[in-house]
Amino acid sequence: MKIKLFFNNLGKALLTKDIFEDKVLSRKLYKYFLIGLLVRLIFLPFLYMRDMLSIYQRAAETVFTGNFGSDFHQMLTNLIHSAYLFIIKSVVPAISELSPILLEEDTWLSWVGFNSTYNVFTAVALFKILYLIFDLGCMFLILRLSFDDEPEKRLRVFKFWMFNPIVIFVLYIFARHDIIAVFATIVALLLAKKNRKYWAIAVLALGIAIRFFPIMLLPLFVLYLARSKKDYVVLSLVGVSGLAAVELFSFLSFGRSLIFSLMNTQFFNYLLWPKLELWPGGHGIIFIFIAVYVVIILSFLHVKKKSFDLLLNYGAMIYLTFLSLCFFHPQYVLWSVPFLVFLFVRRKSLVYYHWFQFVLVLILLLYWSPHGNTFMLATIDYRFFIYLPKANSVIQLFYDDANFVNIFRSIFTGVSIWMIYLIYKDNKRMLGNGLNNREYHKI
Amino acid sequence: MKSVSSTAKIILLVLTSVLILIMLSGCRGIFYIPGASYGYYIWEEDGSIYVEWSRDRVDSDFSGSISTDGKIAAYDLSEWEEEDQIEVSENKIEFSAALDEEDYSDGFSFNPRDYTYLEFDLKIDDEYDLARINLGSFLENPEENIFKVEEQYFDQLRERQWYKKHPFSEFFYKLYSNKYFTFVYLFILGIIIIEILRITVFIDKKRKMVNIAVSYAVLIAAEVCIYFILKFLVG
Repeated sequence: MKIKLFFNNLGKALLTKDIFEDKVLSRKLYKYFLIGLLVRLIFLPFLYMRDMLSIYQRAAETVFTGNFGSDFHQMLTNLIHSAYLFIIKSVVPAISELSPILLEEDTWLSWVGFNSTYNVFTAVALFKILYLIFDLGCMFLILRLSFDDEPEKRLRVFKFWMFNPIVIFVLYIFARHDIIAVFATIVALLLAKKNRKYWAIAVLALGIAIRFFPIMLLPLFVLYLARSKKDYVVLSLVGVSGLAAVELFSFLSFGRSLIFSLMNTQFFNYLLWPKLELWPGGHGIIFIFIAVYVVIILSFLHVKKKSFDLLLNYGAMIYLTFLSLCFFHPQYVLWSVPFLVFLFVRRKSLVYYHWFQFVLVLILLLYWSPHGNTFMLATIDYRFFIYLPKANSVIQLFYDDANFVNIFRSIFTGVSIWMIYLIYKDNKRMLGNGLNNREYHKI
Repeated sequence: MKSVSSTAKIILLVLTSVLILIMLSGCRGIFYIPGASYGYYIWEEDGSIYVEWSRDRVDSDFSGSISTDGKIAAYDLSEWEEEDQIEVSENKIEFSAALDEEDYSDGFSFNPRDYTYLEFDLKIDDEYDLARINLGSFLENPEENIFKVEEQYFDQLRERQWYKKHPFSEFFYKLYSNKYFTFVYLFILGIIIIEILRITVFIDKKRKMVNIAVSYAVLIAAEVCIYFILKFLVG
């Protein structure tokens, strides 16, 4: 009896009470879960992009040699991977046997050695299970973020996450770790929804310290959660505390600034490269993304009734703006998904545009050819796949490959901007045709 | 349910396309794209030996020699330019040819007679790169810088079963030599599939438990079969 009660409570905790108590809905959810899991597991042992190995190489440096500064720019991410690697190498001897390969300094030799080992499938599957764990966390938390009294719509949110092509591609084919910080962001959103303002911002700060991307959400969180002038200051400070803590740690441990080091990398410059030159020669430049970002934040500021759903919509708009205007890596597209899945329920056309975005992302992989395509199959037989003709070289026979990809990149931008417009329309509908903002009431 | 099945169809389509791509790139007599592929491609057709090379529109020199204990009866050039050189004696061919952004590939074919072996000494930019020398279908690589090919080599290569050739041979080898992982992995996939069947197909059936028991028996039988199939394929 106690066991039954335990499983009942667990079911309610995982699926939400509404879905758990409805037999049809809970069965549907279980079905989606199983099919989604099956798709994930099919890709699990066979495909990865070389960067996943680099992440675990740095983690191996931490685990096997005690070097905690092996991944200076992603310290928390490295700690999480190191802790996980420590656990799996203790449980699975095959992972310990890989240590000479993981510690090989020549990344090419390491990659070839890794793909040549007879147990490469075990290693790749185990490495990716870390992302599966966070993915599982996200899929059950995301159920709770919206549609409180509408279990059917919640179920559709779950379905859109389970079968999201970007989630499956980024985590199980491209094998990147963004899901860890996405999980922290979803937890922060859940806490924000429950008005746990300090906890929400603190967890968001943790997410920022892990991957920096959630910093784009910080102003939205502060504006949504602040109830007084004091709140604006305190929440902003808490929001950057994670970054400040990592900065302090890096300064004390390694004697150099993490933030400025990061700002000097190309990754930060992705935000600044799209620009309008007002004066030739460096002075008088407008960074387009920053300008548009400020417009979005100001538009949220001026909304009088800031509902949680509106916060989610604005999150989607911000990440889609980033994807529209800035250079991005395929895994960055994942950041838009936790916000879009709710919109998919309200506006079905967005689902189709999202699938179109995914197809375009597959074409954009040519930017990273051959690492982003044939090399991902190297676990199966690296000698075969690394010597296949590069996709870029085939395109070059007929047309400039850079132009070819850029045409599709431009289409991606167009689609994303159209999606932003559809979200804007959704905002207007949510706000009663957009009349409930402060400016209007002042007039 | 409708959108789930369409998702499943899309996934199936993608998987099939990937499989077809792999098969296409491996199963043809020889597969390379002039101006995109990089390396030497050597195969036999109607008694003639074909030696061709290509690079992805990068300036490079392909040079080397082929000698035999028999005779070279005839030869033919393919995509040959004026500055490319070839010297053919009774039992040796020496060549040096350049590729560039406009010149995607060069090659030649010859008819060896009364021979027991052909000895290849092939270089790219004056260096050996064995991984770029592809013999026959499924792109076998030689193991030594100067390598010999016996008279029957290409016939033997042709007769070799598909599962003994790249990338399948390597894939099956890894699955078999890592069998604990392979069978646990397949078992987990099987359990999920049976669960999906249980809540969709079996749910309204009278003999639900029997169906599930049969499914698990089939799964175990499938695992045993896969073990023996892999054992046979790896041989």
